[in-house]
Order: sequence, then structure tokens, then C-alpha cells
Amino acid sequence: MAGLQDIRRRIRSVKNTQQVTKAMKMISAVKLRKSQERLVALRPYAGKMMEVVRRVVGRIKGDATIQPGPAARAFLFPREEKRIRVILVASDKGLCGGFNANVLKAANAFVAETTSEIVHLDVVGKRAAEWARKRGLPAGAEYIGIPLTGLQRVVTEISESAAAQYNAGEIDALYVIYNYFNSPMSQTPTVFRVVPMELDRRVEGRDALEVSHLLEPDPNAVLETLLPRFVETELLRNLLESSASEHGARMAAMDKASSNAGDMIAKLTLTMNKIRQASITNQIIEIVSGANA
Amino acid sequence: MSQLIKLEVVTPERPVFSAEVAEVQFPTATRGYYGILPGHTPLMTEVGDGLLYYVQDGQKHFITVFGGFAEVGPDRVTILARESETVDMIDLERAEASRQRALKLLKEALTEHDLAAAQAKLNASLIRLQAAGHPAGHGF
Repeated sequence: MAGLQDIRRRIRSVKNTQQVTKAMKMISAVKLRKSQERLVALRPYAGKMMEVVRRVVGRIKGDATIQPGPAARAFLFPREEKRIRVILVASDKGLCGGFNANVLKAANAFVAETTSEIVHLDVVGKRAAEWARKRGLPAGAEYIGIPLTGLQRVVTEISESAAAQYNAGEIDALYVIYNYFNSPMSQTPTVFRVVPMELDRRVEGRDALEVSHLLEPDPNAVLETLLPRFVETELLRNLLESSASEHGARMAAMDKASSNAGDMIAKLTLTMNKIRQASITNQIIEIVSGANA
Repeated sequence: MSQLIKLEVVTPERPVFSAEVAEVQFPTATRGYYGILPGHTPLMTEVGDGLLYYVQDGQKHFITVFGGFAEVGPDRVTILARESETVDMIDLERAEASRQRALKLLKEALTEHDLAAAQAKLNASLIRLQAAGHPAGHGF
């Protein structure tokens, strides 16, 4: 029977696909683990860095006798955001569920809402680059096909040029749009302003109670070396968050695809068995009626 | 002295060290070594390359630090190092090999830039060797 043949062929093809998705899931799991390890190692450092920067900033803001230098002033007292630089982080490859769609949706919303002019847009990942081209946004640097070990270089490059632009007054703020890594199964598209730093009032209030810090050799020297490191750390963290999110999203998507393929195979096998049963029954009936005749 | 300081050393790659200690000394970028005892005035400064030591149960222990920042409070010292390792993490053979390489580079260096790079490399390997108690590190 032709139907039987067709179904057998379909089952075989679905099985092949399932094998591919299973393999991709495994690969993603390994990559996820690598990204996650680095992220988990960096988070305490980034957290401490944030804490220290907040303390120093709180100290300088609270003491009128300190005259912040140009770099420090720009960082401490936000200017009106006329021109901004945005870094959009997505992935190179698809097949990772809503990973890219979500972050690009966030980017669309951001572009629609912002009143400032985006003078510089860096894109990390092919999907982000394609999106920027389609929207006709001013393209800055494109980073495509960056391996995990190459992130540090990207970060150094972006943070150096961004810090220079910021200090020169060419940009008034630096934003990163990326996927925040909650867990392997869940990511949140996030818009994060790196500079000027957002100080939350609670932290400022608490630190005001503390004895103020001595900043040696002097407050400006400390700030001027601390700030670039801070920007770099935050960027690296964001990129790692995105990388871990991507692999997590792909792993989840491939897991779902594999189980869908399994369901499909079960259904097709059932249909195939039914048809086979029917044909056997038919043949028996033919034989029996032939014998009767 | 019953008071202790919480010493934390973290790098972008990993948290290196965290424990309650009695005393800490670390190298700064511009002002030599700072010794910290409990109750120190809050302070924030840039960390240089060199050896940090802490005293725990009357014993002196070393940690290498390369650049970064230190934040000191009355009961804590937080070091955000660019690179850092405890004595256990140091690979003696690798440090020695790196010292030899640096010495060779130093001899061959032609430009100012090469010279500075080779010198920095030599310093780093010597700091590691010294931390691990290798005889070559004592000339440093």
C-alpha cells in the first residue's frame, strides 16, 4: 500500500530531524555551561565594583570641598541626553526561540520611545546587524561571530571608544540592550544605562551615614582610573549575560523541538500501525471469502 | 586584639580569596605598600603589582595582585584585582619558564616599548616566584 510507504518515509525523516535537534541541544548545553561559569565567576566582581563605585560617587557628591575633574563631573552629573550611543546584543544564529525576537522588540520600543538622537549604534551578533540595517540606523562597529574568548577584546574596544566619546561630550549616555540571564530557561530583555550611572537613593542614603572615604592619591585620580574599569566590567557582564541567555534559549528551544518530534513520531507510528492492521484484516477477509467461494 | 578584618580578593575570572584575617598589607600603584589593621579609616586607592600578605592565626600568607582597586573599611578590605592568585594557584614551572622567556626578551628588546613589556613580564614572574618561595624571587 502506498500510504504505508509514505508514512514510513515520514517517520524516518522526523527521526532524522529529531537527532539533529537532540545534538544541538547537547551542544547548547555544553556552551551554556561555559558561558554560565564565566558569568557566575564575574558577577561577584561586578557586584563589588558597583558597590565601590557607588561609595566613591556618594562620597564625592556629598563633599563640597572636592572639585571633581572633567571626567568625574561628566560621570557624576548627568547631562541632558541629546546624543546617545547604544550597544545592541543579539546572537549570530537563529533556532533559539524568542531570544532574538524579544531583544529586538525591546530595541524597537527603545528606539520609538527615546527622544535623544542615537549617534552611534554598535551591534553584536548577525541578527542585531540585520535589524539595524533594516531600520536604517547609523551603524557603528559590527561584531559578528565573536567566540566566548574574544569578548574581552570587544569590550576593551567599545569601552575605550565610548569613554573617549563620553568625555569629549560627543555622547551623553551609553546604553546596552541585551538579554539578562535569569536561568537557563528564562531570559529578560533589558535596557541598561551604563553611564551616567544610576544611583539608587537607598544606597546613597545608607552610604551618607558611613564615614567618608579617603581617596588616594586624590579623588580625581581614583575616579579617572576606576570609571573605565567600571564601564568595561559592566559591558563584559552584559555580553556574558547575553551569551549565556542565548545558549539557554537555544537549549530550551531544541529540547522542545526534540519532544515535539517525539510526539509526531508516536502519532505517525500509530497511524502506520492502523493502516497496516487494516491491510492485514483486508487480506484475511479476501482469503476467507475466497475459501468460502 | 580580638577584632578581625574581612579580606576579599576578587578578579573578573573568579573570587580568589575571602576570609577573616588579623592584618593585611597590599601594594598600591602610587604610594608603596599599605598595611591595614582593624579599625582603619575608610580608604579607596589603586592597587599596584606585587605581593599582598595577610596574617591569619599568627601566620603570614601571600597572594599576588596585579592592578585593580582596593577599598578599605574599618572591618573590611576588598581588593578588585585585574589578576590575582593565592600561592596554591601559582604554577611554579610556568612562572619559571616565563621568567626565562622574559630575560631573553629583555636582552633582545630593541624598542622602548619592547623593553617595558619584557620588564613587566619579568616583574610579574618574579612576583609569582617570590610568593611561592622560589629562590629566584628573592632578588626582586
